[in-house]
Amino acid sequence: MLRNYLKIAWKVLLRRKFFTFISLFGISFTLMVLMVATSLFDHAFGPQMPERETDKLLFVNMMRSELEQGTQSGPPSYYFLNRYVRPLETPEQVSINSVYVTVNSYVDNRKLALDLKFADAAFWEILDFNFLEGKPFGKQEVENASRVAVINESTRKQYFGTGEAVGQEIEVDQVKYRVIGVVEDVTVLRLHSYADVWVPITLRSRDFKNNGMHGEYFATIKARKASDIPAIKEEYARMMQQVPIQNPKEVKALHSYAESVLESFARTFLGNGHEDKVGLLYGILAGITLLFMLLPTINLVNINISRIMERSSEIGVRKAFGASSSTIIGQFIVENIFLTLLGGLLGFALSAAVLALINDSGIITYADLGLNLRVFGWGLLLCLVFGLISGVYPAFKMSRLHAVEALKGGSK
Amino acid sequence: MIRHLFKLIWNRRKSNFLLITEIFVSFMVLFAVLSLVIYNYSNYAKPLGFNYDNVWQLSPRPNSDSTALNVQVQEQLLRRIRDFGEVESASLSSSNTPFAFSMMNTSLSYGKTKDLLANFYEVQDDFKDVMQLEVREGRWFGPQDDASRHEPVVINGMLKEKLFGEEEAVGKLIPVNDSTNYLVVGVVDYFRAYSEYNADEPAFFTRINLSKNKDRLWSSLLLRVKPGTGVAFEEKMVKELSGIAKDWTLEVATLEKMRQGKAKLTLVPMIALGLVCGFLIFNVALGLFGVLWYNINKRYAEIGLRRAMGATAGQIYKQFLGEVFVITSFGLLLGCFFAGQFLLLGVFSLSTDIYVLAILSAITLIYILVSCCALYPSRQAAAIHPATALHEE
Repeated sequence: MLRNYLKIAWKVLLRRKFFTFISLFGISFTLMVLMVATSLFDHAFGPQMPERETDKLLFVNMMRSELEQGTQSGPPSYYFLNRYVRPLETPEQVSINSVYVTVNSYVDNRKLALDLKFADAAFWEILDFNFLEGKPFGKQEVENASRVAVINESTRKQYFGTGEAVGQEIEVDQVKYRVIGVVEDVTVLRLHSYADVWVPITLRSRDFKNNGMHGEYFATIKARKASDIPAIKEEYARMMQQVPIQNPKEVKALHSYAESVLESFARTFLGNGHEDKVGLLYGILAGITLLFMLLPTINLVNINISRIMERSSEIGVRKAFGASSSTIIGQFIVENIFLTLLGGLLGFALSAAVLALINDSGIITYADLGLNLRVFGWGLLLCLVFGLISGVYPAFKMSRLHAVEALKGGSK
Repeated sequence: MIRHLFKLIWNRRKSNFLLITEIFVSFMVLFAVLSLVIYNYSNYAKPLGFNYDNVWQLSPRPNSDSTALNVQVQEQLLRRIRDFGEVESASLSSSNTPFAFSMMNTSLSYGKTKDLLANFYEVQDDFKDVMQLEVREGRWFGPQDDASRHEPVVINGMLKEKLFGEEEAVGKLIPVNDSTNYLVVGVVDYFRAYSEYNADEPAFFTRINLSKNKDRLWSSLLLRVKPGTGVAFEEKMVKELSGIAKDWTLEVATLEKMRQGKAKLTLVPMIALGLVCGFLIFNVALGLFGVLWYNINKRYAEIGLRRAMGATAGQIYKQFLGEVFVITSFGLLLGCFFAGQFLLLGVFSLSTDIYVLAILSAITLIYILVSCCALYPSRQAAAIHPATALHEE
C-alpha cells in the first residue's frame, strides 16, 4: 500500500513542476535555516571538542555579591576557587583556570593579538583536546612555574608556518615560552576552554594572594558519572552557605553556582544572574522556531489545498469504492511527508554549504560548524513535524468531500 | 465596484482566509525587520562627534598590589608616551573608551528632571585633542579647573536638551550629593562612543586631575599618532614601556579595529535576519503566485460568462487585480492593528517615527509584492476567449 502511495506521490510531483518547485524551495530553505541554527546551538552548548562529556562537566564562572545598593558580579577569584571549590568531595576533579586575556606579540613586523589562558594540570586531564604534536604540561611544570606553553594550530601557523613547533621558543607579551604541545583550534564559543596559548597558572601566582571573592578565574568540574551532577550542585550550594562574608557591612549575600554552559547562559541573560531559567530559554527558543515555521507552513498548506483540489475526481472514485475518510487522510499525509523529506534532503545539502561558508568567513573565531549525527537527527525531526503540520489540514478538508460532489469536480 | 468586490471576497471568505493570514504574517515579519534596520540606520547616519582614525588604545594592567608604586609607574608611562615623536597627544581615560565593551552611567537630576540616566567618561585635558572634539558652547577643561570649587563637566547636546531644554547650560550647577556639584563648563554636539549603531544618549565628561586623585589607576590610555604610523612603532613603544612597567600586561588596540568588532556585532545579526526575511518573503511570493494562478484557472467559466455579457478584457483585468488588493488590504488592516499596539504601548522604546516609517514601508513592499504576483495570472484571465471558456462547460 505504502509503495502505491509513494508511486502516486511521485507521479503527482512530476505533474505540475512549478508547484513542486515552490513546495521544495520553501521546505528546503526553511529546514536549512533551522539546521544552521541547530548546528550553532550545538556548537555552543552541545558536546564538542574539547568539552566532549558535557553530561559530566560543570563550570563556575560567576560570583555575585549582593550589596546594600545594587550588585557586583564577575568571575570569582583564585582564592575562593582554591579554598572552597577545589576541596569539594563529590567531583572527580576540579580545574582552576583564568579568564583569557588578549596580549600582543610582534612577529617579523606583524602584530598578533593572542588570547592567553593560564591553566593547571587538571585542565588537560578533564578536557579532551586533540593534540597534533607534543603533550600538555603536567603537575611538575605547574609546580615549578616553568615557562612552557601549549599553542593552537593557528598560532603555530603564524609563528612557524608549516614547520614543527615543539621545542621552539615563542615570545608572547614580551615573555619567552618553550612550546611543548600543539592542539587543534577551539572555537571562541567555548568560553571556558578557548585560547590561542595556554601556560601554567603558577606564572600568575601574584593573583593568588588577593583574598577577595572577585577575580578573573573559572573552575571546570568533572563528575565521576553523569548521575553525580545533582549531588555536586547540592554540595556546592551547601558550601556556598558556609563561605564567610568578609565585609558584612556592605555585602548582604554571595551567590555562585556550578552549572552547565546552557544553564549559566540562561541564568545570566534571563534570570538576572541568580534564577534558574533553562525552562524559559527552551520555551523562548521553541516559540521562535514555531513563529519562523508559521509562514512557510501556511504557504505550503495554501499550495497543498490547490493541488489536492485538482485530484478531487481521484478522491471521488476512491470514496465511491468505499475508502474511509481516515484512509484518504493517511494517504495525503504520507504523500506530504514524502515531499517534506525530499525537501529535507535538499535542505541538508544547502545547510552543509551555508555552514562551510560561515566557517570560511571567520565570523566566529575558529568556528568548525558541521552536520553531525545529533544535528542530523534534529533536522529529520523538524522535517517530520513540518510535513505533518502542513499536511493535516488540507487532507482533512479533502477527506470530507462527498463522493458525488468530488466526482462532479470538487466543491466551491 | 468596490462593494461588489468585497461581496465576492466575503462569499469566498473560507478559501481566502489562509491568504489573508499569510499576508498578515508576512507584514508582521517585514515590520519587525524593517524597524530594526531603520533604527540602526538612523543611528548610523548621526555624527559620532569624534574622530577615531590614528587613535590607539593602551590598556596597562598592573601586577602588584602596591598602589603607590602603580600610580608612579602610571605617571612615568604617560610621560614617556608623550615624549615619543610619533605621538601627537595622549590622555588617560576610564575603561569606557570609544568602541570598548564597557559602559559607565549614573543618574542626574536637575530641576524637574529626575533620575536621568547618563553615560559618563573620565578623561584628561588632552582628550579633546586626541579625539578631536568640537566644543559648541563654553570651553573644554583646562588648568584653570585645578582650583575649581565644583567638579567641572562638559556635557553633550542630548544631555543639555534633557536637563536644560532651551536654557543656557554653561555655568549651571548640577547637584550630585550634599557636598559636591557638577559645574557645566562646556557643551559638545554629539558624543556616541559605544558603537556607530547606538542611539544618541545623554553623556558627559568629568575631568581626571592627577594631582587630586593620588591613589587612582586608570584602565585605559588613548593616544593619537601621526598618520601612517604602523606596527613597527607599536612594537618599539611596547618594548620601551615594558621596560618602565616591569611585568605589567600592556595591550594595544587601534580604535579602527575596535570599531570593526563593534560593527560586526550589529551587522552580522542584521544581515542574517535580512537574508532570512528576504527568503521568507520570496517564498510567500512564489506561493501567492501559484495560488492566484490556480484560482483564476478554476474560474474559467465565470470569466467566460462575463466576457460573453460584454465585459472588456480591461475590466476583467481590473476585477482580478482589485480582488487581490482587497484581500491584501484585509491582511494589512489586521497587521496595522497589531503593529499599532507596538506604537501605542511603546514597546522596545523606539521612537514613533521609526515605527511609522517601518509600517509604511512594509505596507508599500507588500502591495508591490502582491501586484507583481497578480499581474501575470490576471493578464491570463483577461486573455480568455468567451467561446472557448463557455465551450468547456
